[in-house]
Amino acid sequence: MKKAPALLIVFQLIFISLMAQTLPPVDKSPMDMSYYPSNYPVLKIQDKPTEPLAARVVYSRPQKAGRTIFGGLVKYGEVWRLGANEATEIEFFKPVKIDGKKVAKGRYTLYAIAYETTWTFILNKDTDTWGAFKYDAKKDILRVTVPVEKTTEPLESLAMSFEKTSTTTFKLYVAWDTVKAGLPISL
Amino acid sequence: MKSTAAVFCLAFLLFACSDAKQEGKKEPVPPVNKDSAPANRAERPTPNPYTGVDVSPMDMAYYPVDYPKLKMAHTLTVPPLARVIYSRPHLQGRHIFHEVLKYDEPWRLGANEATELDLYKDALVQDTKIKAGRYTLYCIPHTDSWTIAINRNIDTWGLEPDTLQDVARFVVPVVRSQNTLEYFTMVFEDANKEISLLMAWDDVEVRLPFRF
Repeated sequence: MKKAPALLIVFQLIFISLMAQTLPPVDKSPMDMSYYPSNYPVLKIQDKPTEPLAARVVYSRPQKAGRTIFGGLVKYGEVWRLGANEATEIEFFKPVKIDGKKVAKGRYTLYAIAYETTWTFILNKDTDTWGAFKYDAKKDILRVTVPVEKTTEPLESLAMSFEKTSTTTFKLYVAWDTVKAGLPISL
Repeated sequence: MKSTAAVFCLAFLLFACSDAKQEGKKEPVPPVNKDSAPANRAERPTPNPYTGVDVSPMDMAYYPVDYPKLKMAHTLTVPPLARVIYSRPHLQGRHIFHEVLKYDEPWRLGANEATELDLYKDALVQDTKIKAGRYTLYCIPHTDSWTIAINRNIDTWGLEPDTLQDVARFVVPVVRSQNTLEYFTMVFEDANKEISLLMAWDDVEVRLPFRF
């Protein structure tokens, strides 16, 4: 009786290919999100949040797929979309400070310029856009340069995660391949 | 001809089965769907923050349709009107009903994080005004219609809708499609001046109408 599902899968694959022209297929760089505090939605249904919601990032996750990422796919010294497809969005649910500058609550687009030993994060107010193709430096809120760190193991998929660094500070870590960089944020 | 077809089918099925078994040996533990195991995810002692790509990947859909691409290609000055962010479970050989969803029981309209509706402007849904803001969407599927709830309990995990925080509920008809969709799909449509949010999976399609 396990034969039916196998056939179904085949038929579904055929139908998917027929439907692909009208409805969006699953993207090869799938979207994901991360909250600060980490795993906030899961903590929320377990009644376990220990501090209020502060930030969220929504981004797409390209794969390394055997390519040279930094210095190759991501060219050093050029504005990088920090993801794929829709521009990477960071939302603050309360006012925060980055590099000593006040940032109002709201949605922003996050870009980066990667160099070999440092990354410059760019917080820009032009949201709901695609990639970095229309990047407009006049809409920058701020830029902050941070050192590049090594990951413990190579990452196939670009990943983002908030990490607590003290009672009032945290970092948004962006990691891919063998490097990561953290954007420091203060509450 | 019949017997040839039958032999071919049989051969195919045997092949499909043995293939499935081999896969089973390689992966005795099926990949854990976060959808069914949120507790594990939070209680893991040393969580790796750089998790792999989810089995039910996230996606988003804007109205105007493809807004970010339009914005990139032209110089759009109008802001977007609406957006949904949702995760896309897939059938993996299952039927949507009985095997994945149950009639008359709330469903999160996706997987993992609760499905989010962002309205950037006040909207009318079936003549009910919904104010601009962020909301959670969930549904209660029935055989011929679905109830769609707009809810204000946001930034949560989809498993437990808090029905007390419903802003409004709408009943929309089910349309049976000739096509079958492997992945749950949400997308705004703009046809004949009617804007609607299409929710489609397997052979089921429902549309929630919007006016701005």
